[in-house]
Amino acid sequence: MTFISLQFLVFFMVVTLWFFRLKNQNGRIWLLLIASCYFYMSFIPEYILILGGTIIVDYFAGIQIEKSEGSNRKFWLVLSIIANIGTLAVFKYYNFFIDNIHTGFLFFGKPLQLQLLKMALPIGLSFHTFQALSYTIEVYRRKQPAERNFVVYALYVMFYPQLVAGPIERPQNVIPQLKEFRPYNWDNVKEGLARMCWGFFKKVVIADRLAMVVERTFGHTAETSSAALFIGAVFYSFQIYCDFSGYSDIALGAAKVMNIRLMENFKQPYLSGSLSEFWTRWHISLSTWFRDYLYIPLGGNRKGEWRRRVNIMVVFLLSGLWHGANWTFIIWGLLHGLFVLILVSKINTGNSAIRKIFSVLFNFIVVTFLWIFFRAENLAAAWIYIKSICSFRGGSNFITLSPAEFIFSLLVIMIMLLREKYLPRHIISQNSRFWIYLFSMVIICYFFGVFKENQFIYFQF
Amino acid sequence: MAKRFLSFFFIIFGLLVLWMSTSRSCMQFVAEHRDNNTWYGSYQMLHGDLVSLCYLDMVKRFNPPREKIIFKKPANTLTHNINLYLHGDSYTYQVPDSVFSGINKLYWIDRNHGMNYHLDSTKRNILLIEVSERYLRPYFSGLQMLDEVCDSMVKKKKLALGKYGTYNQMIYASVLQGFNLNDLFNKYINQNLQCNLFNYNFMMPLFESKAALNYYAFNRASGDVVISKDRNFLFLKETVSLTDPGSSYIPLTPDDITRLVNNFNAIYDHYKSAGFSEVYLSAIPNSATIMQNHGYNNLIPLIQNNPKLRMKIIDVYSPFLKSTKVLYQPCDTHWNNDGKLFWLDLVNEKLQNPDTN
Repeated sequence: MTFISLQFLVFFMVVTLWFFRLKNQNGRIWLLLIASCYFYMSFIPEYILILGGTIIVDYFAGIQIEKSEGSNRKFWLVLSIIANIGTLAVFKYYNFFIDNIHTGFLFFGKPLQLQLLKMALPIGLSFHTFQALSYTIEVYRRKQPAERNFVVYALYVMFYPQLVAGPIERPQNVIPQLKEFRPYNWDNVKEGLARMCWGFFKKVVIADRLAMVVERTFGHTAETSSAALFIGAVFYSFQIYCDFSGYSDIALGAAKVMNIRLMENFKQPYLSGSLSEFWTRWHISLSTWFRDYLYIPLGGNRKGEWRRRVNIMVVFLLSGLWHGANWTFIIWGLLHGLFVLILVSKINTGNSAIRKIFSVLFNFIVVTFLWIFFRAENLAAAWIYIKSICSFRGGSNFITLSPAEFIFSLLVIMIMLLREKYLPRHIISQNSRFWIYLFSMVIICYFFGVFKENQFIYFQF
Repeated sequence: MAKRFLSFFFIIFGLLVLWMSTSRSCMQFVAEHRDNNTWYGSYQMLHGDLVSLCYLDMVKRFNPPREKIIFKKPANTLTHNINLYLHGDSYTYQVPDSVFSGINKLYWIDRNHGMNYHLDSTKRNILLIEVSERYLRPYFSGLQMLDEVCDSMVKKKKLALGKYGTYNQMIYASVLQGFNLNDLFNKYINQNLQCNLFNYNFMMPLFESKAALNYYAFNRASGDVVISKDRNFLFLKETVSLTDPGSSYIPLTPDDITRLVNNFNAIYDHYKSAGFSEVYLSAIPNSATIMQNHGYNNLIPLIQNNPKLRMKIIDVYSPFLKSTKVLYQPCDTHWNNDGKLFWLDLVNEKLQNPDTN
């Protein structure tokens, strides 16, 4: 069940209305847990067992960590980490690992045939694994009491708005909200619905429209002109942003309607003046996860300059690997790490407006070129794409959109950027304005939306 | 009070519509009992499946008046000793027994409901696998056709043939009666919801407006449909995209062909040893394959001409390509009446002269 589906709209309506009809919190968390199970099972029903297994392990591990002292605490933490990372390793990385072993042996002239797993990756596995890990780590650090109510803990991992593509929440933020009875609040409902509409707009009007160009340029690189390829790359930057941040807006909005506040995941990342700043604005819940649970425990910047650089590279390497078991993601992560280190930008210092604009544009171009690795099928395809852009060659300028739709696409991108810069909030106090906004957004999404039941890009992670 | 009533109303309405759209039996009932000519009927089948997919306001331009399907009686029908098991899809749905040459009984087997058969040893049992090109790679890259699920379900449920008229209806009924966890997570739920919530003739102007906007402002069809290069046909997007396995233009590797040929051989051997006199494959080209042949990946000829293929072929691709007639509907994934009759001639010729290849 993707957010962009009729099934979700009906499901959301039923669950939300039912949620507010229930007068005790116990009933509400049971309802949300059952609804979340149905939501997750609508992708591949059997995979609920994997998720359920890790939830049970982490639930008991959390309690044992709290009860124990000394090495026992560490034992239970390690057990939880092994259960979570082990599941991730098997489903996400096993085939990649075996493929590379095959290639390695083949390189030395000794072909080897190891069995590959023929299983689809459970949807959102990387997200809920990291969310579950943040719980046991926080309990271990004594910053979060172990949750004794199994339903609450299961719901913390499975809460449907953020189950398959984040934000990767911290237990301190979500668990208390799940335990507290929060009465119906019309202002929150309005804000949540308005935010959901904005998310739908970004996904169906912008991201899925740009996807047509991106599919064309990445699928026909050899015959496409440099200019068209460059447009394809720039459009991919906006596609992935509108796709993922659109998802986050819908997730945050859906939770807000039920009076639950999830953490922000994006803050206009393409207005960043440097890559370091970009990572404080892009997928914030993941970058702060790596900061809190990897970078700082590794020593952060407290152990000298060289150690800091190594730590940054380790974080970006793992961040790339987190996104997918493919060398394209690994190289994408490593290049981000490398550029964060070498482009410690001097150009964004100073107050000159021109300098700021230049640094934002330069940073956007760097990010766009790095996205090519993220989008390409393999490293060779990414390299050919970049080489083809840089060759300034001629070729087909066909990008699937007519000139009118191309201009329309640029226009909606501009509207999106300006709105998020100058009207970042979704609070509409007057009821009449709210209804006009809601109605207009529905009409705009219907008439200008591209509906192909496209999955959100980040669902695959 | 009113708010309370409304919220209960929408909860019950939502649950009901979700259940309806999940249940295959319920959707079957809706499909059978909706009168498409009324205001509350479904526009979906009135103008061709692609028009309903793209809501294109060019129905009149693309769509001549919908054809009345006319079948002709086959020649040479003196002996009726063939039981024909037609494992097919929507191309051959509702083709009557009488149009096949020398047929005693036709068993049409829906590919989605699994393979089932009940051989009569006094007859010549022939299995004809009809598959439209867009399903050829996705379906025959595996060996699902060897799963005889439905047959075992019939035995388990002890259904009597008499109640259902044909063996095929009985199989279908057995599927509906059996509880299947996947029914709860019906993969067609969004199409079903659209059908139940919005696909009504009175909603047509809204869909047409969107289509008109896309067509006049952006020069394209919306949804999963694209307009052909000569702008006279609508094609299902998945048959022309470069990434979809059902596409006529997706690049093929030798491994793809080898795997498909091996699977067809395995299916052929399986059903020959199960008692079928002959097993034929008849792959129906996508409309894009014939109407926009430039750049075609040659999937059908590569399989049919593969020297290792043991399965017998009823070649549709070459005669269709050579034909001077238009054999496909302009705004539908399917062939037109001429295409269907052309195919029936090819099949009947093979039924009467089984040794020719």
